[in-house]
Amino acid sequence: MSITQFFDCNTWIGMPANGALFKPDNAESLLAAMDRAGISRAVVWHISQLDADPITGDALLAKAIASHARLFGSWTILPTQTGETDDPDEWMNRAYDARVRVLRAFPGVNRYLLRAEVVGDILSVAVRRRFPLMLSMTRGAGGALIPKQWEDVYDLLAEFPDLTVILGDLRIWPEDRYFRPLIEKYPRTFVETGSYLADGGIESFVERYGASRMLFGSGYPDCYHGSSMLNLAHAEISGADKAAIGSGNMERLLSEVRR
Amino acid sequence: MINDTSLARAFWEKGRADDCPVYDMHGHMGPFSGIWFPRPSSEGMIQAMDRAGVRLLCFTPHDALFAPEVGNATSIEAVRKFPDRLRAYVAINPHYPEFVARDIAMFEKHTDVFVGVKLLSDYHTVPMTAAAYEPALKFADERKLLVLAHTWGASLFNGTDACRTVARRYPNIAFLLGHSLHGAWDDAIAVAREFPNVYLELCALLDNNRGVLEKFVEAGLSERMLFGTDLPWFAPHCGIGAILSADVTDEDRHRILHRNAQKLLSRFAGLT
Repeated sequence: MSITQFFDCNTWIGMPANGALFKPDNAESLLAAMDRAGISRAVVWHISQLDADPITGDALLAKAIASHARLFGSWTILPTQTGETDDPDEWMNRAYDARVRVLRAFPGVNRYLLRAEVVGDILSVAVRRRFPLMLSMTRGAGGALIPKQWEDVYDLLAEFPDLTVILGDLRIWPEDRYFRPLIEKYPRTFVETGSYLADGGIESFVERYGASRMLFGSGYPDCYHGSSMLNLAHAEISGADKAAIGSGNMERLLSEVRR
Repeated sequence: MINDTSLARAFWEKGRADDCPVYDMHGHMGPFSGIWFPRPSSEGMIQAMDRAGVRLLCFTPHDALFAPEVGNATSIEAVRKFPDRLRAYVAINPHYPEFVARDIAMFEKHTDVFVGVKLLSDYHTVPMTAAAYEPALKFADERKLLVLAHTWGASLFNGTDACRTVARRYPNIAFLLGHSLHGAWDDAIAVAREFPNVYLELCALLDNNRGVLEKFVEAGLSERMLFGTDLPWFAPHCGIGAILSADVTDEDRHRILHRNAQKLLSRFAGLT
């Protein structure tokens, strides 16, 4: 076991509209939980981005992380046709200035199609400025059937093959048959580890694709920090590969994001 | 390091803890239609168990549950290959009573292999309370065997009412609620409190249901909780890491990870 740094690419704060079994976190209590677990930095989003609306949630997130340099934000995209967000470049400038480095999309809940006619303008800017797009496979699908949801991801990547996409919150029934073809075809597509629980899954993935395409995520507060941490720490892969998944890959992706 | 307890430190540093031999009470084996598994063989599962300090796995192969012609043969083969590490549940497929009778009949010949029976009512779409299960449940009740049932809160086949009925009808079985009536956590607590022969098995609630573990412990049920992984579905370290992260004591963790199972299995020779 040689991993010393964890950079969590998938965690959230805020009070869920329908409550939770755990005490909701704000930025300060999230940092305390990260300290307890041994996680140095995180990309965080706010649950109100999903439960309330993207604009309210984005603002709550920006305010929450403003004074915490260890936390990076993840804002929610919306189609520009309805005028809810301004020019994509201007919007991304504001995002960058708020220490936002990752975008999110909840097309099902927000009722739009994740395709070029709808979000082509904002995703083209994301490609140019190297903002990664986190796609949660279990949050915000809006009741879409699983194969249709994956088909939409395939269509999106066919239209934007250079977009950096992080496939996160995977279903706990291992979904390798869905995501591995995307990993093979699109070099800027990544898998997050938080719900990738398959026994031997990390080892098999790294053996086939290398360690550069996998990112450590905890899924906290829905998931326990220790689950994906212990699984990665004792995966049968090299120390260098653990370090890449644990933090190095995410640091590299964020370093590429341009204002 | 997850947290700073001695148990967390041991698992973090070595991947296992000498004073915490894990007992996994819910496993499978072999391929399954809906999923690709990297290492579903008995050898692959032993490899995962070794890495995480899992002393014993009680399992039911997928083909025993879903390929009636194959039945429980692969269980016998695997346990005989790893007699110190594996025990099996006899899979009960309610659609084939003749196979149920056959498999129950062979139980006595393989007491070194089997510790009980496994019900998968949601998947077989027959209520756990149906007559088709009675021969197996009566058999288990007479011999005080373990009964591991897939249970899910909203299910018509193995939901709360069905669990209550089975627990009441068969007071001598050790009734393991697989997945702890997933989603109906208050029901799971109520059923466990109502029936002393009921145990809460934790597979699939340690992944993205943070807080349930603490809820069960706060309800005073830490002596009725059992660790499970669905291996080869989920890596043992994922479940163990979750328990190490949870806001409970190391004493609770020892109960959940091994002591409760050791007590249950003490009725069988050579397992604890």
